[in-house]
Amino acid sequence: MDYTILSIAPIFLAPFTAFVINAFFGKKLPRQGDWVSVLGIGIAFLFAFRIFIDFYSTYSTEYYIHKYFTWFDLSYGENLFKIDLGIYIDNMGAIMLLMVTGVAFFIHLFSTWYMWGDVRYGKFFTLMSLFTSGMLGLVLSDNLLSMFIFWEIMGFCSYSLIGFYFEKEKAGYASIKAFMTTRVGDVFFLLGILAIWHTVGNVSLPDIYAAIANGSFEGHTVIGISLATFAGFCIFCGTIGKSAQFPLQVWLPDAMMGPTPCSALIHAATMVAAGVYLSLRMYPLMVAGGLTPFIAMIGGITAFGAATIALIQTDLKAVLAYSTISQLGYMVLGVGVGAYNAAFMHLITHAVFKACLFLSAGSVIHSVHTQEMPEMGGLRHKLKFTWIAMWCCTLAISGVPFFSGFVSKDRILGDALYVALHAGQGFTYMIPAALGFIGAFLTPFYMCRMMFLTFHGKPRDQHVYDHCHAEHLKINQNVPLLILSIFTLGVFFSGSLTGQGFVKIFGSKNEWFKVLVASPTESLDKFAYYTREELGWSDTNEKEKPEHSEYEHQSGFAGPNHENHEGLHHAHVEGAFGSIIIVACSIFFAFLMYIRRSIDPARFVNMFSVWVKALKNKYYFDHLYIDVIIQKGLLKFNNALAWFDMGIYDRFAIDGWEAVSRVGYKSSNWFDRIVVDKIGVDGTAVATNIFNIVLRLIQSGKIQTYFIVLIFMLVTFVAVLT
Amino acid sequence: MISLVSYLAISLLLFFIGLTLMIARKNIVAILLGIELILNAAALNFVAYSRFAASNIDGHIFSLFVIVIAAAEAAVGLAIVIHYFQLKETIHIDEATELRN
Repeated sequence: MDYTILSIAPIFLAPFTAFVINAFFGKKLPRQGDWVSVLGIGIAFLFAFRIFIDFYSTYSTEYYIHKYFTWFDLSYGENLFKIDLGIYIDNMGAIMLLMVTGVAFFIHLFSTWYMWGDVRYGKFFTLMSLFTSGMLGLVLSDNLLSMFIFWEIMGFCSYSLIGFYFEKEKAGYASIKAFMTTRVGDVFFLLGILAIWHTVGNVSLPDIYAAIANGSFEGHTVIGISLATFAGFCIFCGTIGKSAQFPLQVWLPDAMMGPTPCSALIHAATMVAAGVYLSLRMYPLMVAGGLTPFIAMIGGITAFGAATIALIQTDLKAVLAYSTISQLGYMVLGVGVGAYNAAFMHLITHAVFKACLFLSAGSVIHSVHTQEMPEMGGLRHKLKFTWIAMWCCTLAISGVPFFSGFVSKDRILGDALYVALHAGQGFTYMIPAALGFIGAFLTPFYMCRMMFLTFHGKPRDQHVYDHCHAEHLKINQNVPLLILSIFTLGVFFSGSLTGQGFVKIFGSKNEWFKVLVASPTESLDKFAYYTREELGWSDTNEKEKPEHSEYEHQSGFAGPNHENHEGLHHAHVEGAFGSIIIVACSIFFAFLMYIRRSIDPARFVNMFSVWVKALKNKYYFDHLYIDVIIQKGLLKFNNALAWFDMGIYDRFAIDGWEAVSRVGYKSSNWFDRIVVDKIGVDGTAVATNIFNIVLRLIQSGKIQTYFIVLIFMLVTFVAVLT
Repeated sequence: MISLVSYLAISLLLFFIGLTLMIARKNIVAILLGIELILNAAALNFVAYSRFAASNIDGHIFSLFVIVIAAAEAAVGLAIVIHYFQLKETIHIDEATELRN
């Protein structure tokens, strides 16, 4: 298909235009302009769907669209300084666009029910539109710089949406916390961009791939470490911040202070997905930098740690927030173990079911007006549709066969198991894989616990139960949930459970996801002799393929996809059966504990009392950051800087300059008053006055005086002449 | 015989009387009189020099012209004085300071 700007740009521009319209005229429009936002994202969805169909029908990993124009050009002589903006869509981008627009559309639709009657109803939709357009811009971007711009737009939107109910003090603090925490990652991301710019001289994705393929990164070092490692680490730090990974995970649980649809958007389609998406885009760099064990470790720790915290949460949204962190940990683990395809598939499947989970939670919260699970219970009789949708998603996130989570998560775990046991990578990947499997045991448990506490059993708070209205089918309340829950089925993503091909809904293309999304490391050859064309919109589809590549992996780590397929398949079967058993045990355990009540949770609380205390304090990370690092360290440093600022800089530089300028002022004032005013201006006046007085004496007006003068002059004249 | 010096002496006397009138008197008519005397002194000089120093009558003719001009001048001067009197109801010379103020 031939693409022009008009067939791609509306994906970004439609929600952005909705944002502009709502920001300026939202209050004057009927229904405060919510339909503008829904319409904008709907248009974007249609265009994204068209592109997706094109990519799906082309069905080639070689196919991509790259269009760009020069944003500005500051080159002079030999120094090239040119920044291009452009669009880069490959199979991954097309799938991502479809997911983001689709999920965001249903979230927007749901918001029209959930937020209706809110004080700042219109403002909410304004921000949601900007948020979505930021994410779409990031997905469309062909270079890291514009990605960073959209990345920051999302940072701002998450800040405003988390602090949407700014009347609540906690919401205000949560928004600041989210912004400042992600900022730590953003600074590193920017550093990474600069490092790449320094080496490659350009930050567009094909150029970076080409540079990696040509080995341009070799030989450069930054502060003693190789440049690929440095840049990869910095960019991965961006992911850590945005996707709430292990050291910077503190902001995401607090982000639930925002309205629930905004949480759905942050947790599913936009904010946290952006981090993992960036890691996947920069995957060749991570591999070239040898960072994969580190990434796997971070992912494993996050997947496990967040899952344990989720076990003891009583807040409905907090459980979901920690489950998001945990699932993002799986994605990062997938990146780390080289399960590129599986990690991206998990990003997509997770986005769908987590959006649905959050919208369902929103539906529950809006109906019962509380977020505390101990006050709920037995709600399945009243909220039937929400109950069905939420169970679908719970089964999906748990990794029950036939649901999407099983396909994606178990492929990650299978790859992790393979890398840990069979790929000869030694001990490095053992810990992340083990943590991943323990997390896989915990995930169904806490999700089922949440479902059992919310929907099953007897109502624990009769007052709350009685006030909850029975649910009817409503286009903007539970229809989006039911539609999203359909897409939690595994058949949409994989025609098989573990690769055998049981259900063939897509015909010969039933493994489309696995086939289409290929790691850039596998196709780096096609970028190796990539040369940029000059100005203008150019389509690089028809690029000649290079005959050979000089690229060789630096780290020797190729990920599981390159290796022995027999062993990989074997590991996947092991992993799949292992995780089916794990999931079954876990759900049974939760059933015994919260439905049958034959096991008392208090026993475990007593058994692990120290650990539970740590869990209640979220592993003391908030304490560590706020009380120790900020209060003891940064605040002191800050005070020292303030002392320097006020004691040295203010006192000597500013006040000193004040004294100097005061002297200058005084001397120039003196000069002005004395020389210019007194001597110059007044002196002229005085001189004129004196002449005036003298001349006035002669000009008496008396005729006889003139006679006398006349005669006197005449006589004098004659006397002088003779 | 009456010499040239006698004429010149009379003429000088007339001139100084006229000058004194012009400067010292505050009456405009008296000043006009002084001017007439000065003119007459000049005319007398013309006639005297014509009689003693030259052999023609140019000086006589010139003095006739002076008399005519003096008459015209007196007419104009008196007309001014009359108008001046109508304006100020005085003919005191020190009141005529319009040019100054």
